[in-house]
Amino acid sequence: MIVAENLTKVFIQKNNEKLYAVNDLSFTAERGEIVVLLGVNGAGKTTAMRMLSTVLKPTSGTATIEGFDLLKHPQKVRANLGFLSGDTGLYIRLTARETITYFAKLYDVEDSKIKERIDEVADLLDMHDFLDKKIDFLSTGMKQKVSIARSIIHDPPVMIFDEPTVGLDILTAKNIVSFIHKCKHDGKCVLFSTHIMREAERIADKIVMIHEGKILAEGSWEDFKKETGLHDLDDIFIHFLNRTKEEENELQ
Amino acid sequence: MNFSKIITIYKKELLDLMRDRRTIITAIVLPIILYPLIMIGLSAMMSRQKMKLEQQTMVIYVNDNVIDETSQMIINSFNEIETIQIMNKAEIYEEETYLSLLGENSIQAVIDVKDSLSAAGYSVFNISVFYNQTNEKSILTYDKITNKLYDIEDELVGERLEKININEEILNAVEIKKENIAPPEQMIGFIVGKFLPYLLIILTISAASVVASDLVAGEKERGTLETILVSAARRNELVIGKYLTIITISIMTVVLNLFSMYLSFQHIFRQAQGYIGDLQLPLGNFALILVLMLPLITLFAAILLSISTYSRNIKESQSYQMPLLFGAIMLSMVSLLPGFELNLGFALIPIVNFSLMMRDIMLGNYQIQYIFIIVGYTILLDIIMISVSIKLFNNESVLFRTSEEKSLKFWGKEKKNVFSTQFIIIFFIVILLALFYIGGSWQAKNLPNGLLKTELLLILLPSILVLRISKSDIKKTLRMNISAPVNFLLVALMAIPVFILAIISMQIVNIIFPIPESYIESMSKIIYMGNISFLQVIFIIAVIPGICEEIMFRGYIINAFTKHGFWKAIIITAILFGAFHLDPFRMLPATLLGFWMGYLLLKTNSILLPMFAHFLNNSSALVLGRFGEEIPVIRNIISGQDFPFWIGIPAIIILTLLLKVFIRINKNNPENFQRS
Repeated sequence: MIVAENLTKVFIQKNNEKLYAVNDLSFTAERGEIVVLLGVNGAGKTTAMRMLSTVLKPTSGTATIEGFDLLKHPQKVRANLGFLSGDTGLYIRLTARETITYFAKLYDVEDSKIKERIDEVADLLDMHDFLDKKIDFLSTGMKQKVSIARSIIHDPPVMIFDEPTVGLDILTAKNIVSFIHKCKHDGKCVLFSTHIMREAERIADKIVMIHEGKILAEGSWEDFKKETGLHDLDDIFIHFLNRTKEEENELQ
Repeated sequence: MNFSKIITIYKKELLDLMRDRRTIITAIVLPIILYPLIMIGLSAMMSRQKMKLEQQTMVIYVNDNVIDETSQMIINSFNEIETIQIMNKAEIYEEETYLSLLGENSIQAVIDVKDSLSAAGYSVFNISVFYNQTNEKSILTYDKITNKLYDIEDELVGERLEKININEEILNAVEIKKENIAPPEQMIGFIVGKFLPYLLIILTISAASVVASDLVAGEKERGTLETILVSAARRNELVIGKYLTIITISIMTVVLNLFSMYLSFQHIFRQAQGYIGDLQLPLGNFALILVLMLPLITLFAAILLSISTYSRNIKESQSYQMPLLFGAIMLSMVSLLPGFELNLGFALIPIVNFSLMMRDIMLGNYQIQYIFIIVGYTILLDIIMISVSIKLFNNESVLFRTSEEKSLKFWGKEKKNVFSTQFIIIFFIVILLALFYIGGSWQAKNLPNGLLKTELLLILLPSILVLRISKSDIKKTLRMNISAPVNFLLVALMAIPVFILAIISMQIVNIIFPIPESYIESMSKIIYMGNISFLQVIFIIAVIPGICEEIMFRGYIINAFTKHGFWKAIIITAILFGAFHLDPFRMLPATLLGFWMGYLLLKTNSILLPMFAHFLNNSSALVLGRFGEEIPVIRNIISGQDFPFWIGIPAIIILTLLLKVFIRINKNNPENFQRS
């Protein structure tokens, strides 16, 4: 499970001004649950996920993944995490099998179990046909499967998907979505980010709406409908956005 | 750190690179084919060309102004030379026309035969051979004709001697015999040693640079970097894995280079066995060079990996590599140049040291202490650069650098900020170029006038203009504030120990890189400056620079760096001030002075103090240079002989005491430094 506590990331900009990319973000994601980080581009989704995957260091606050603290045990955090984003690349000169084996080793999968594990993953994703082909010659859908295989080779309990469907065609995107459902059924904890409201609506157990690094609202799709009396997620998002702005104005 | 993980990363990188065409070409194919191509191909081509040239007919024109038996004999003897054909005189041509034919390369030589009488009354043939030094065929013709003429001279002299009954052997009073004592192996070392370091360094660094760009910048570009950063590998393991990969590819390149070169030479020797006997290349020297290359390879790898880590994509990495590659080419060329001997100074310049060391090893007369110094020094640099590259790889703002935004801002939004680092750097470079090109030519025309114009128009004016155009508060920016008189007194006192320390720093540079005579001469030219009075010299060299240069550096430039803090602002400005002098010998002392003057400025918030300090320093140098010659101690200091380094100790003590007083006086200055 993921427990984020007051995660904050400040970037110092060129003109020495502080930019709060993520501001005091707290939420939890349980096992068997799909939590969606929903926000427009630049809302701080990627920064938040990069902090959770220990690639960026939080300016303040912290989080635990499966009980391991980001700052104290980054190694353990990464070992318990599968990370997939829409724009990650692959080593085009390696074959699919070589790529997956490389990551299996980086994730400390025992040498004796690597072959077995690759077979399992290839079964799951239906990728036996192209396991030994160079990635350069694979189609976009096949490449996406290699990326997924790479991120789950160590069977992590927590999966983080950073806008994984960006730029994919409907069929490939559908594969990903069904894979995310599979993760949920396997009892994994899934954190998913998107700026597409429909997508969030379709798969989320819980939605965390963020804007300019801050949480606008948190809850299920049903909760939101009840709370606002609105039916369209776009409208709901704008409703929460306006509410937050009003609150801020009142404070000032 | 987990060693097996490093190996995993290392193996994957090698596998990946070995499937990359660029790596294969630069690291493997190039060294393998280059040497056979250069040595066998080139030499074969050259000898074939030469043969072809020698078989061609060469047309000459002979203008015989003497027309007697002997001159006919001389001309006929040209006809005896196989490939030479004498052109007949055509009526339509003037004498000059033949020379223009030669200029057009239609004929290869024009010979003009005259005669005269020597002082003792003997007849002398004056034969001019006109030829074209830029035409191979013409040069060859000249050689053939002059050789023939020497033979004829011998013949004619012999005849004359015979007439008066003197034996021809009387002419042989001295016989010179050329005996080269260098064994053939050493001769080969001499030739190989000249170009081997150059080729080896260039080929290694270009292979390593291709690989290094791919390893981090390439991963950023392809979006794979994040996938390994989120894996369970540690960053240090990733860096070291990649690092070992670059080193492996570089070693492979060096080995292949040496091996290919060795085989090519062996091939040439086998072919030439008939002429030069059974030759062996010194295999041991090749092995020694291979081992010694390791620390240099490590240094390249660390620098290139740092560049690659800093860059956002391969293209950017390659453009950052350019200065390094150019520098490496220039520095490694010293082995090709005559007259460069390894000394302590050269031993401390990276690449130059290896270039000279490898040359000496190939020659077989290297000094072991230099090998130790160079290798030890390079290992020290290795350690520094490796820690830099690890630090960079652990720095998230470097790994996820988004300088696209920055550069856009520079040209867009921040355009008006004349205190941004980028603007200052560009300003500084433009001024430097202007000094070099425009100022240099002004000073060459008229030294005092040129110096004055340089200071006022190229140093003072641009700084003031930039501040005016940006509508900055000039008085406040330049810190034009009055300071307490006691501060001026303290500066005057401090100027003495600071001046001594500056001289000491110059002498230290002098020990490592001896200052050439020509440099001292050009300095004394400034002190005397032709026909103007000494007071005028003081004005041009001390007063004006004190004002203009201080306004540029302590007035304008330092403000770009005060946001980084008190010391950083002083140090960066001082280094720029040192570099500004465009003079390797004054760079260190000028930096020291710049440091002191920056400190005076930020401590008191008054530019008058650094101006005064600058004036004092320059005028003391002038006074010492002009009148010090007559005082023996000072003459020694100036000439650098028996320099009394011990005076640095009292200088430091006195300076420290004066600084303490200065700090106490300015402690409660309300204008004290604040980060802007």
